[in-house]
Amino acid sequence: MSDINTTFITIEQMEAATDALLENGKKVGADSWQQRVKNQTPHCKFGEEGICCRICSMGPCRITPKAPRGICGCDADGIVGRNYLRFTAGGAATHSDHGRSIAHTLYLAKEGGNYQVKDPEKLIRIAKEWDIETENRDIYDIAHEVAETGLLEYGKPFGVQRFLKRAPEARQEIWHREGIEPRAIDREVSQSMHMTHMGCSSLPEALVRQSLRAGLSDGWGGSMMGTELSDVLFGTPKPVDTTANIGVMEEDMVNIIVHGHDPSLSEMIVYYSQDPEMVALAKEMGAKGINIAGVCCTANEVAMRHGIPMAGNFLQQENVVLTGACEAIVVDVQCIFPALGPLSKCFHTKFITTSPIAQMPDSDFIEFHEENAGENAKKIIELAIRNFKNRRPELVNIPKLKTNATVGYSVEAIKKCLDGVTNSHVDELGTTKPLIDCVKSGVLRGAVAMVGCNNPKVRPDYAHINLMKKLIANDIIVIVSGCSAQAAAKAGLMSKEAKNLCGEGLKRVCELVDIPPILHMGSCVDISRMMILAADIAKDWGLDICQVPVVGCAPEWMSEKAVSIGNYVVATGIDTFLGVDPYTKGGPKVAGLLQGTIKDWVGANYTVEHDIEKLGDLMIERIEEKRAALGI
Amino acid sequence: MGLFERVFRGSDEMYFKAETEVNAVIAELGEDAPMTMPDTAYFLACIYAYLGKKITTLGELKAVLTDIRAMMTRENRTKSIFTSGIATAMAAEVIEACKYARTATPYEGTQYHGHFSDAEVRELGVPLVTRDIPGFVVMIGAAPSVEEAVETVKGYQSRGIFVFMIGGIIDQVHEAGVTTGFGVRCVPVGPDIWSVGHVISLVTRATMIFGATEPGDYDAFNEYTMQRIFAFVNAYAPVDDITVACGAGAIKMGFPVITNDTDDMWAVPKSLIINTNTKDWIDTSLEARDIKIKVTNIDIPVAFSSAYEGEIIRKKDMQIEMDGSRVDCVELVRTKEAHEIEDHSITLEGPDFDQFEVGAKIPIAYIVEVAGKTMQSDFEGVFERKFHSFLNCIEGVMHTGQRDMIRIRVSKASYEAGFRAKHIGEVLYAKIKSEYDTVVDKCQVKIYTDPEKVKELRAEANHIFDQRDERLKSMTDESVDVFYTCILCQAFSPSHVCIVTPERLGLCGAVSWLDAKATNELDPNGPCQIVTKTRMIDERTGRYEDVNEAVNQYSHGALEQVTLYSILEDPMTSCGCFECICGIEPLSNGVVIVNREHVGMTPLGMSFSEMASMTGGGVQTPGFMGHGKHFISSKKFLKAEGGPARIVWLPKALKEQIREKLNETAHELYGIDNFADMIADETITEDPEELLNFLTEQNHPVLGMDPLL
Repeated sequence: MSDINTTFITIEQMEAATDALLENGKKVGADSWQQRVKNQTPHCKFGEEGICCRICSMGPCRITPKAPRGICGCDADGIVGRNYLRFTAGGAATHSDHGRSIAHTLYLAKEGGNYQVKDPEKLIRIAKEWDIETENRDIYDIAHEVAETGLLEYGKPFGVQRFLKRAPEARQEIWHREGIEPRAIDREVSQSMHMTHMGCSSLPEALVRQSLRAGLSDGWGGSMMGTELSDVLFGTPKPVDTTANIGVMEEDMVNIIVHGHDPSLSEMIVYYSQDPEMVALAKEMGAKGINIAGVCCTANEVAMRHGIPMAGNFLQQENVVLTGACEAIVVDVQCIFPALGPLSKCFHTKFITTSPIAQMPDSDFIEFHEENAGENAKKIIELAIRNFKNRRPELVNIPKLKTNATVGYSVEAIKKCLDGVTNSHVDELGTTKPLIDCVKSGVLRGAVAMVGCNNPKVRPDYAHINLMKKLIANDIIVIVSGCSAQAAAKAGLMSKEAKNLCGEGLKRVCELVDIPPILHMGSCVDISRMMILAADIAKDWGLDICQVPVVGCAPEWMSEKAVSIGNYVVATGIDTFLGVDPYTKGGPKVAGLLQGTIKDWVGANYTVEHDIEKLGDLMIERIEEKRAALGI
Repeated sequence: MGLFERVFRGSDEMYFKAETEVNAVIAELGEDAPMTMPDTAYFLACIYAYLGKKITTLGELKAVLTDIRAMMTRENRTKSIFTSGIATAMAAEVIEACKYARTATPYEGTQYHGHFSDAEVRELGVPLVTRDIPGFVVMIGAAPSVEEAVETVKGYQSRGIFVFMIGGIIDQVHEAGVTTGFGVRCVPVGPDIWSVGHVISLVTRATMIFGATEPGDYDAFNEYTMQRIFAFVNAYAPVDDITVACGAGAIKMGFPVITNDTDDMWAVPKSLIINTNTKDWIDTSLEARDIKIKVTNIDIPVAFSSAYEGEIIRKKDMQIEMDGSRVDCVELVRTKEAHEIEDHSITLEGPDFDQFEVGAKIPIAYIVEVAGKTMQSDFEGVFERKFHSFLNCIEGVMHTGQRDMIRIRVSKASYEAGFRAKHIGEVLYAKIKSEYDTVVDKCQVKIYTDPEKVKELRAEANHIFDQRDERLKSMTDESVDVFYTCILCQAFSPSHVCIVTPERLGLCGAVSWLDAKATNELDPNGPCQIVTKTRMIDERTGRYEDVNEAVNQYSHGALEQVTLYSILEDPMTSCGCFECICGIEPLSNGVVIVNREHVGMTPLGMSFSEMASMTGGGVQTPGFMGHGKHFISSKKFLKAEGGPARIVWLPKALKEQIREKLNETAHELYGIDNFADMIADETITEDPEELLNFLTEQNHPVLGMDPLL
C-alpha cells in the first residue's frame, strides 16, 4: 500500500484498497455491490436491448424475431424509443427537481438566517438577465424575486426557458428550427410521460426529438437553475486545494460522510462541524475533532466551496462504511444505495436519511427543512459524535491512499485564471479568448468534457482515469464533473503536478495559467457550467458550439440523469461518446438516429464504444476532424 | 498556413542550410579538421547542452546533424514544434560554427559581434543576480523606422534590459549613431537569423555555469531557462518561417515572442503575442515575461540605467574631466546627527560645469552626509563603494576609481542636455535613499569645485580613510564574532552558498564582510544571514560546525561541509560568477590563478573558461576554487595548504592590481620581499616546464613546501 499523499494513485492501488475493505466486510457478514453484480449476472437481454415493454398491463411484451411487435402492435423501435424517452424524463425530472429545491431555499434565504446570499454579484447578474429590478432594492427582495421567477420556469404556461438566451444565436436558431426549445420544465417531463403512455407516440423521430427537448429543459433549465442559484446561496466556486481518496478519513476523528447531491444539507453540516461547541463535544468523546468528507456529488459541492476532502465516488459509497471508522453517513438525494441501510448495521455507522424524496429502510430519518436546517445539522453531528465511542477498533481499516487536488473551476474562475495570461496591451479581460488562441494555434488540440458515474459494467474508474491520461497526453484539456471528477481527484490527476503527464502543449498551458490539466467544474448538475463555457467559447470565437473542437464523454455512466445530460449535451452541439449503451441496441432506427441522423438536426450525435482505448481514439479523431473543418 | 506547419518548414530550411554549410566546409578542410569556438570550454554550447555531445572536429559536426534532424519530428503536437524549435537553434549554431571552423574571428572588421566568450557569459552573473539586468531582449529584423529602432533599443537600455540585435535593426541603430557593444549591453550579434545560435549558446552556457545543469539533460535546460532567465524576443514583420521556427525554440525555453506580423501568425497567450503597435512593445514584452522594473526616478536631464554602466567616454566626446591623479578630487560618506541634515539638500560651492572650458580638468569633492537610527559608521565605506556604479549608470558619465583617486568624465552630449554638478548629487541622493532606506533616514549632498576647499577636504578625507583602513586591517576572521552567508546568487545557482568573512570576501568580488553585514541589517530576512563561529572543528582549514550547518541549511541539503581556507578539503563552492579561478599546478606543487578578463592560456593548458568550467553551480571540485581578487593577498588564502606562497602564476594585469598587498602579506607571513616578482605571468611563460625553471631561478618558496597531492 502506498504512503499517504502520494502524487498519483493507480487503479490497481485503489482496487487493492477496496479488496482490503471487502475483507473487513466479510468479518461482519457485509453484503457488497461486487457480490450483487455477480448475483444479477447475466442481465436480462431484453432489458439490455431496450425491447421489453411494460407500459400497459397487456404485457409485458418482449420483441423477438418470432414476435416482432408487442400486443398493441408497437415495433422494437417504438418500444426502444419510448423507453429511451422515459429514461430521459426520469433524469430531467430528477436534476430539475434538485434545481427547484435550491430555488426554494433561495426563496427562504434571509439576512441572519440559516441560508443567506453569499454571492450578491451573481444574483444581480441573473436578476438583470431576467429583467428584474435591482436598483435601490434590498438584496433579499431581489433574491426572492429571482427565486420566484426561477420557480415559475417549471410551470409557466407560455414561452421557453429563459437561460436559452445564453447560447450563441446560431444555436438558438437551431433549437427553434428543430422544434426542441424547451418550454416549462415540468411540461417537458409531463409531455414525455404523456407521449410514452400506451397508445401515444411510437414514431422514433418524435420520441428522440422529445428526448432532446426534455434533456434541454434539464441542462438549460433545471440543472442550470440548480447551479446558478447554488452559487448565489453558497458562493461561486473558485480554486481551492483539497485532498481525495479513501485515506482522507481520519482514524482519530469523528468521521461524518455527506453523500448525495443537494448542497443545502451538506453546507449546514460543514458549517456546524466547525462550531466550537461541537468540536468540544467531539474532544470530550475522545476524538481529536470532527472530519467531514464527501461521497458522490455532495462531495463535489462541498469540496469546491470549502475544500472538504472527497472520500470517493459512486461505487465507493460502501467503502466508507467498510473502513469501520465512519460514525455517520448523512445523505440527501440521488445515487444513494439502499444497501447502505443493512451495511451500516454491520458496523457502528449511523445511516441518516434527511429528505422525503430519498427515504430508505434501516436508516435514521431526520427530516431536513430549510427552516430547521441549523438545528437539524447540529442534531446530526451530535448523533455522529456520540457514536464515536461505539467504534469497534478491530474493524477500523482506513487504506492509506490520499492525493492532493485543486478544485472549484467555475466558468467565472476559469475566466479569472485565463485573465492571468492575457497581456494588457493586446487582450481584453474576462473572456475565453486565451483558451481559444491555444486551440487555434494547435498548442491545445481541443477539449473534452468528461462526466458521469461509475458502472460495474466498466472496470470502475478505469475508463475515466485512462481516458483522461490519454487525452491530456495528447494536449487535450479536460473539464470534469460528478463522479468522473472524483475519479480524477482520487488518481491525483487534479493536482498541479499532473502537468507532468501532459503533452508539452497542455503542460505549458498548465504552467502559465497555473491550473491542473483536468478542471473540476462541480457536481453533475454543474454540467450546465460546461454548457455555459462552451457557449461562451463559441461566442468569443464567432462560431456555433458544434464547430468548436470539443466533445463530451461519459464512459461509465449509469443513471437516468446521465441520459438526460447526454441529450442536452448533444442538443447543445457537442458530440458525445459513451462507454455504456443506453438500452437502444434493440431499436436500430432509434440507435441510428442517436448515433447518426440527429447530427443533421443539431450538429452533433452519440458514439457508443465499449473498447475504452478505441473510445479515446475516436474522440481525438473527432477533435482533429473539427480542427480540420475550421482550417486550423 | 498553420503555426505548426510554419515551424516545420522553417526548421527544415535551417536544417538544410546547416547541412549545406557543413558539407562545404568539410570539402574545404576535411572531416578531421578541428572545430572549436573561441574562448569557451563548452564546445558548441547548444549541442553540448541539449544533446550532451562535445563537438571537436568537423566530422563530429557532420555526424551530429543526424541527431538534430531526429529532433525535428512532425507530429501535430506541441512537443514536435518544441523539439523542432530547439533543433532549429542547434542548426543555427552549426551554421555559425562553420564560419569559426575557417577562422577564429569571422566577424572581425564587421559591425557584428558573433560568438560570446565564456568570460562575457560569466560577466553577466552578478548583474543578473542583482537584477541590474532585469532581462534580455533578442530583437530580430528591422523596426518600422530608424527613429523607432533607436527609441526602442534605448528604451530597453534605460530599463537595464540587455539587447541582442539580429538583422536589419543593427543597420538602423548604427545609422543613427547609437553606440553598441557588450559593454553597453546592446550587442549587434549578426546579420542573419542563424546568428541567433550565438545568443542561445550564451543562454545554455549561463545555464551550465550558474545552474550546474548536466549537459544532455534537455528538460533541465528548458526548466532552468524558463524559470530563471528572463529573456524574450521581439520579431519585426515580415517574420519568415525560419524565424517562426526559432521562435518555437525560444518559447520552449520560456521566452515569449512579440511580433507585429499578422500574416499567418497565431497568438498564443504569454508565448506568442501579436501587437501591431510596435511602439508599445517594451511594456508588452516586459509584461509577457513578468519582468518588473524597479524604477528610480531621478531628476536629471539624461537617462539613468545600468545599461550605461560600461559606457566609455573618449576624449573627443568629453566636455570636462575630474581627474584625481592631476587635480584634487575626493568622494566621501559621513554619518551625522539627524538635526544636522536637511534631507535632499544639494549644495554646490564653487563654479558649475558651464563655467569651465571644454576639456578642462576640474577639482571636485562630493560629501554625502547621512543620518539614521540604525546607521553605523562601518557602512560609510560600503556606500562609497557603490558610488562607482551609481554614477556610471548616468548616460554620458564615466566614473572610475575610488576615494581620492577617482576620474569622472562628462560627455558633451550630456552636458548639452543640461547635466551639471548638482545632478551628481541628485543621483547619489536618490540611490542612497532607495537602496539603503532601512538605515538612512536623511541624506544631503555637498559638492565642492573650489580648488582650495577641495584640497582641504581631500586632506581631511585621507585622514578618515587612514583610520578606516586601520580598522579594516585589524578586522580579521578571528576578531569578529560572526560570519555571513550570501545567497544572492541562488536565483541562478540554487545550491550555492558563499560564506563571507572579513578576510575572505564573496567570490564575485562584490560582497565584503561589511557589505554582508550591511545587507543583513538592511534586510534581516534577506540573502545575508548571520553565521556564528563558536564551534570550530579545525583551525588550519577553517572548518566550523556552525558554518557546515549554515551551508547545509541554505543549500537545502546540497552541501554538507565547507572549509574557509582550503582548496583541497571541502573547498567553498562557486555560483559561477567568480572574479578569479584558482587551480593546482602539479609540476610545481603550486597554484595558478586566472581572472575573468584574461583571455590567454595558463600553464595548466587551460584558459580561464576551461578552468572555470571545472567548477561552479554550487558544486565542490577539490583542486579548483572560484574566488574574489582581493582574497589572493589575504593571509587566509590557501592557509591550509601553506598560504599565498603557493601562487606560481598570475596574469600580469592581475598581478599588478594586487602587487602591493600581496607583497605586504608575503613579507608578514614568510619574511619575503617583492614576492610578486617570483610569480610568473604570461609574459614569462605559459609552459609548465619553463614555469618550473623560472620558479627555481627565483627561488620561489613553493619549491620548499610539502607536496599538495
